[in-house]
Amino acid sequence: MHSAHFDGSFAGWRDTARALLRQGLAPHQVNWRGDGDRGGLFDQAPSPVNTSPAAEAPRIPRQLLALLQSAACFRVEDRWSLLYRILWRVAQGDRAAMLPGDIDGSQLHKRLKAVRREAHHLHAFVRFHPRPEPVEGPHLVAWHEPAHDILHSASEHFVERLGRSTWLIATPDDGIYWDGQHLHYQRPCPDGWQRLAQTPEDDGQALWLAYYGSTFNPARLNRSALENSLPVRFWKNLPEGPLIPQLMSQARAGAQRDGQAAAVAQQAGKSIRRSATKAPQVSENVDPDHPH
Amino acid sequence: MQLIEKLTVLADAAKYDASCASSGAPTRSSKGKSGIGSTSGMGICHSFTPDGRCVALLKILLTNFCLYDCQYCVNRRSSDVPRARFTPEEVVTLTIDFYKRNCISGLFLSSGIIRSADYTMEQLIRVAKLLREEHEFRGYIHLKTIPDADPLLIAEAGRYADRLSVNIELPTEASLIRLAPEKQVRTIKQAMQSIHLGESEARAEVRAPRFAPAGQSTQMIIGADATDDSTILHTAASLYDNYRLRRVYYSAFSPIPQSPNTVPFEAPPLLREHRLYQADFLMRGYGFEASELLTGPGNLALDIDPKLAWALNNREHFPVDLNRAEPAMIARVPGIGVLSAKRLVALRRQRRIRFEDLTRLRCALEKAKPFIVTQDYRPLQASRESLLLRQQLSETPAQMALW
Repeated sequence: MHSAHFDGSFAGWRDTARALLRQGLAPHQVNWRGDGDRGGLFDQAPSPVNTSPAAEAPRIPRQLLALLQSAACFRVEDRWSLLYRILWRVAQGDRAAMLPGDIDGSQLHKRLKAVRREAHHLHAFVRFHPRPEPVEGPHLVAWHEPAHDILHSASEHFVERLGRSTWLIATPDDGIYWDGQHLHYQRPCPDGWQRLAQTPEDDGQALWLAYYGSTFNPARLNRSALENSLPVRFWKNLPEGPLIPQLMSQARAGAQRDGQAAAVAQQAGKSIRRSATKAPQVSENVDPDHPH
Repeated sequence: MQLIEKLTVLADAAKYDASCASSGAPTRSSKGKSGIGSTSGMGICHSFTPDGRCVALLKILLTNFCLYDCQYCVNRRSSDVPRARFTPEEVVTLTIDFYKRNCISGLFLSSGIIRSADYTMEQLIRVAKLLREEHEFRGYIHLKTIPDADPLLIAEAGRYADRLSVNIELPTEASLIRLAPEKQVRTIKQAMQSIHLGESEARAEVRAPRFAPAGQSTQMIIGADATDDSTILHTAASLYDNYRLRRVYYSAFSPIPQSPNTVPFEAPPLLREHRLYQADFLMRGYGFEASELLTGPGNLALDIDPKLAWALNNREHFPVDLNRAEPAMIARVPGIGVLSAKRLVALRRQRRIRFEDLTRLRCALEKAKPFIVTQDYRPLQASRESLLLRQQLSETPAQMALW
């Protein structure tokens, strides 16, 4: 059994894998030690891999490398063996290994799907808090807990979205900061960043919470649809998270009769009178063109 | 009235419109630019409310004052609801604040009819123009189009909005006359035609200014009148054909406070709505015709999905040999979607399809089993009667909501 030590990065794995492939080491002969996974162990001496043999460079489709790189973001106890097994099979000419219907390929595509989904979760469920002006450092800060290592590859989205605003996203493992010109990625995440992201001084959430409560239709209460789309693990970091159980129990306790939000039902209503010939009038002297 | 109170009223007033898509816009980016916002063609659902519906856009009315008296609408003039009106600047502030917080991908703005159709449309356009021109907002904008508004105003709206929509409201003209006396099918369809023309012109010329690049959609209310699913699907099919709509939304009628006697006061028919969406998806993505899904008048089955229903009624096409059949026919097998069909075709170029491949592709095997042949499998049930199969495959009825 050959122990393949590398720094835990995809680039490190790729170099090592290429060398092993040239040596003709089959997947079952290799034990992958990506000790850098959790960071901090970079200085452990990697056992040198002999790169000299005469075997010609393996030929693999370029597209496979992109798939493997993306699948490497999937967090699992041993994330590298599957990738090498697929690389090995394709290099041997068995391209079915890349396909979703294959025994290894289906695992690969399961990981790819989870990684894509987690990137999408980042784009969807990150909540930025504006910091009170004037401010040094990022204008917008967010704390997020992704299930896979997608922060680095998926954050460009926010550069396009937020223009010149500066922002910071911190996670338990890594962090990323856009200073208006450049992205700075750090792994592990600096303490200062984590503190900034976890304790925002933001008192402007009330409007969003009011909107969330009002756009919910209690007559359509559907908990399982909610949990399928918005997994419970994200609730704790969403400002609307604490509202969810509250709105559900209100709906069950009778608010489910019609679609109206409780906050609206409590207010006095105004029906609008309309004379047959003239311009319409509004009761209680409220002119629709000049609201109070 | 405080901004937060207006928001509470005007979000509640807007939520009965089911549309929330933020997809289909061209790629826009604010990288290195002043202003804010991007679109990528893919929509993003930023949150979900406990009804399971997504929150992608800030969906509000500019005002819920309304001259019309549509019976199914909570904002009809005879309704005793609190009323409010935003200024255009307030809508802009809310949109940008929520957008920066990453709570939304854009704005979906509609309005009650005040003064006149043209005046109302002008107000909606003003908000979109403010956002696009003064604030350089590049996020998604969906504007509701007021049917009787001047076509020139619709043309202007199309320059700022990614999507325009006119609601057909009810599936038949008779129902519209009965429940929405101020609305007319003729003007609704005229507005759809104006949008369709604008889109076609913009596509025909390379340098033409953009016009609603994410196309138009509409909404039909389900269960406020007695129209059957067959009529609904045929109406939808003709709208897709005539105006190239991107989407028809089906909105199960939710009971409203102080409900008038003309509309039902019952729990919204959510399962029926779900089956209509499934049937609609089969028409848009799988090449099914409305007349295949429902051959005569009546409703879609609630206990089985429309694709399975079609397969049970058309046993002569089955079982399908997955190693030989056309991709389009594979996609017609219950339990196998378009994506799985594509993957099976890619796989069979490498080797013969076996039954266990379907497990790996996560096809719905229980549904697919009676209808397929693979290298190592032939269905025992191939000769079983459709009625028996149906009993075996029908979904256990869900518990009804308790009220």
